[in-house]
Amino acid sequence: MKTVALVGQPNCGKSTLFNQLAGYKSLSANFPGATVEYTKGQTYLDDEIIEVIDLPGTYSLSWYDDAERETVKALFSEDIDVIVNILDASTLVRSIELTIELMSLEKPLVVALNMMDEALRKGIYINVNKLENVLGVKVVPIIAKKGKGIKDLLEAIKNAKKPLKRCVYSREVEKYINAVVNCIEKNNLKNEWPVKLMAIKAIEGFEACQKPLENSVCKKVLEQAKFALRDGLVIVQERHALCMDIFEAVAKVKKKEKKSFEEKLDTVLLHPFFGYIAMIAIFFSIFYIVFHGGVPIENFIIGIFDKIDHFIDISLSNYKLTHAIVKGVVDGVGAAFGIAFPYLLPFLFLISLLEDVGYLPRIGFLLDSTMHKMGLHGTSMIPFVSGYGCSVPAIMATRILKSRKEKIISAFLASLVPCSARTTVIMGLVGYFIGYGYAILLYVINIVVIMISGMILKKLLPGISPEMALDIPPYRLPTFKTLMLKTWHKVKDFVFLAVPMLIGGSVVLTLISYYHLDNTINSIFKPFMELLGLPSSIAVVLLFGVLKKELTLLMLYQALGLSSLSQIPQALTPGQMMVFTVFVIFYIPCLATIAAIKKEVGLKATIYITLGTLLLATLLSFLTQVIIHIA
Amino acid sequence: MKAAYNFGMKLIDGELGKSYIVESIDGGCMAKDRLWKLGVIPGVIVKIKRKAPLKGPFMLEVNGVDVVVGRGIALKINIRELE
Repeated sequence: MKTVALVGQPNCGKSTLFNQLAGYKSLSANFPGATVEYTKGQTYLDDEIIEVIDLPGTYSLSWYDDAERETVKALFSEDIDVIVNILDASTLVRSIELTIELMSLEKPLVVALNMMDEALRKGIYINVNKLENVLGVKVVPIIAKKGKGIKDLLEAIKNAKKPLKRCVYSREVEKYINAVVNCIEKNNLKNEWPVKLMAIKAIEGFEACQKPLENSVCKKVLEQAKFALRDGLVIVQERHALCMDIFEAVAKVKKKEKKSFEEKLDTVLLHPFFGYIAMIAIFFSIFYIVFHGGVPIENFIIGIFDKIDHFIDISLSNYKLTHAIVKGVVDGVGAAFGIAFPYLLPFLFLISLLEDVGYLPRIGFLLDSTMHKMGLHGTSMIPFVSGYGCSVPAIMATRILKSRKEKIISAFLASLVPCSARTTVIMGLVGYFIGYGYAILLYVINIVVIMISGMILKKLLPGISPEMALDIPPYRLPTFKTLMLKTWHKVKDFVFLAVPMLIGGSVVLTLISYYHLDNTINSIFKPFMELLGLPSSIAVVLLFGVLKKELTLLMLYQALGLSSLSQIPQALTPGQMMVFTVFVIFYIPCLATIAAIKKEVGLKATIYITLGTLLLATLLSFLTQVIIHIA
Repeated sequence: MKAAYNFGMKLIDGELGKSYIVESIDGGCMAKDRLWKLGVIPGVIVKIKRKAPLKGPFMLEVNGVDVVVGRGIALKINIRELE
């Protein structure tokens, strides 16, 4: 089976092309390098099945972050038969730089010249035949979004050949490069890089290529080359000049001086004051739409599941254990659907829209300074915002982040954001019985705690947080199809991940009450509950909150031996309600969230995160208790 | 050798809305390679389009493309005024 790898710079439309080629199995994102994991798919070429790999976007073969490193590694290691290099025709100069690097890999290569329509709008006219001749590589013009040129591209993939030309620098530069090349070859210091590229990157000071030469006999030669070529700057400038020359030879530009609509939009959306107002307005409307629109749908779904519950109650009343288990399963499925369809689907659709329109990197620009203090980038905003809905998609959103350190910090912090289940506790307990001012206070405290935790984690965790250096893509109108595919993909992830956890949690819950294990559990946790000044009968509530936080409030009054929610003040003082709520906000995320965290950052980090939240919750609720006692 | 190309002005000192020539990028800058790839290369003209408040990043225009760089990086880019 032939394997084809798609490679391109961020925002070149790579994922869109992948969707066109390999049947809807990848996501398309507008934020640089959004496809952090690479995706595989299959397509037919004549009668033969070929495998298509969608690699994370990269500006160059010398990587800057984890995701880009994965791309380069895959290019070296995978058995790739054909490389398809996607170029954004509207930023041709920069795109060609990657093409030149890819040519040196000496694998069959096809160039897909994407976004021809956007280039035209920008006033750039490209002569495709000329570009093909200059590069010595087959060039196919495409408009991936509209599916144009795909057939020609497949044809070109079938006949793909190794590049005819190689990038040649001036004689003086080549002399130094060759000296390093010869030394590498003579002393067998070659690694997986093509030797000439390795030499160039070593001269440019790229860590992975420089390191093998540092303590070797080639050290001297490398240093000479570095000195003569000004640490590789001469090579970079020559390559840049070459790309400019190519561009000038193949493209005509008719300048459009008029201030475009995009510029005007940016003046508002990136304004030092109005930009933030606009951002708050945008997120507020998303929440408003999602939560207002979701309620009737949720009620409808709950209604259906209530009927099923009722039916089970009647038909299985003679088989107590079976009844308990079946009910647990139905409740779990009901909870999953009750979240996924009314809230998640529209929420993820709107977030995908922001992503594909190109608004996300702009948020990154606006919020970078605040987020950077927490060891994060402006883009980490998305997991946080999603967290107010449900923690599971919030954790899944950390996928767009690139470094591992950032991912771990974001996953930890996003799990601290009160999701809608925890919101019911804040509002239903503290808000209703103590006052809504206190509920808002809890939200503020929550944000402060998140920020402080972020600052501490930034210092504690190893690894550097690379600073923001990326390009801001132009605004683009995504197609409805792409958006729906993307949303569907995310909802599917949620369903596969969360549904088993919710079902499992529900079943365990019903079994525990079936076997009357509540008292045993309460007595085990008695000392802990005394530390927090809470009645030991609610230990079981907190423990089960881990399985399913939606039930916390319901279980609370049952565990306290009350007949309804309104009687809670009889059993708990306002102080105890505060302590309980603080603990619920911060302690261990639910099982589904833990599963999501494990998927994104691995088991070890997940254990640390889980224990960390438990520690944090204990500390904060203990502090709350002390403060209440003093006050 | 580096000092010979450094006239003391850093990108971070640049004025909003003005264009500058990139002189050099300080050694040891992790993002050097990335900057090169984004077109921020010595000799190129960059325009400071926006500065995010609260010591946020800079938005530059390079070859007609908007590029965002953090302040820590802007501190390591040496620039010269256009004559």
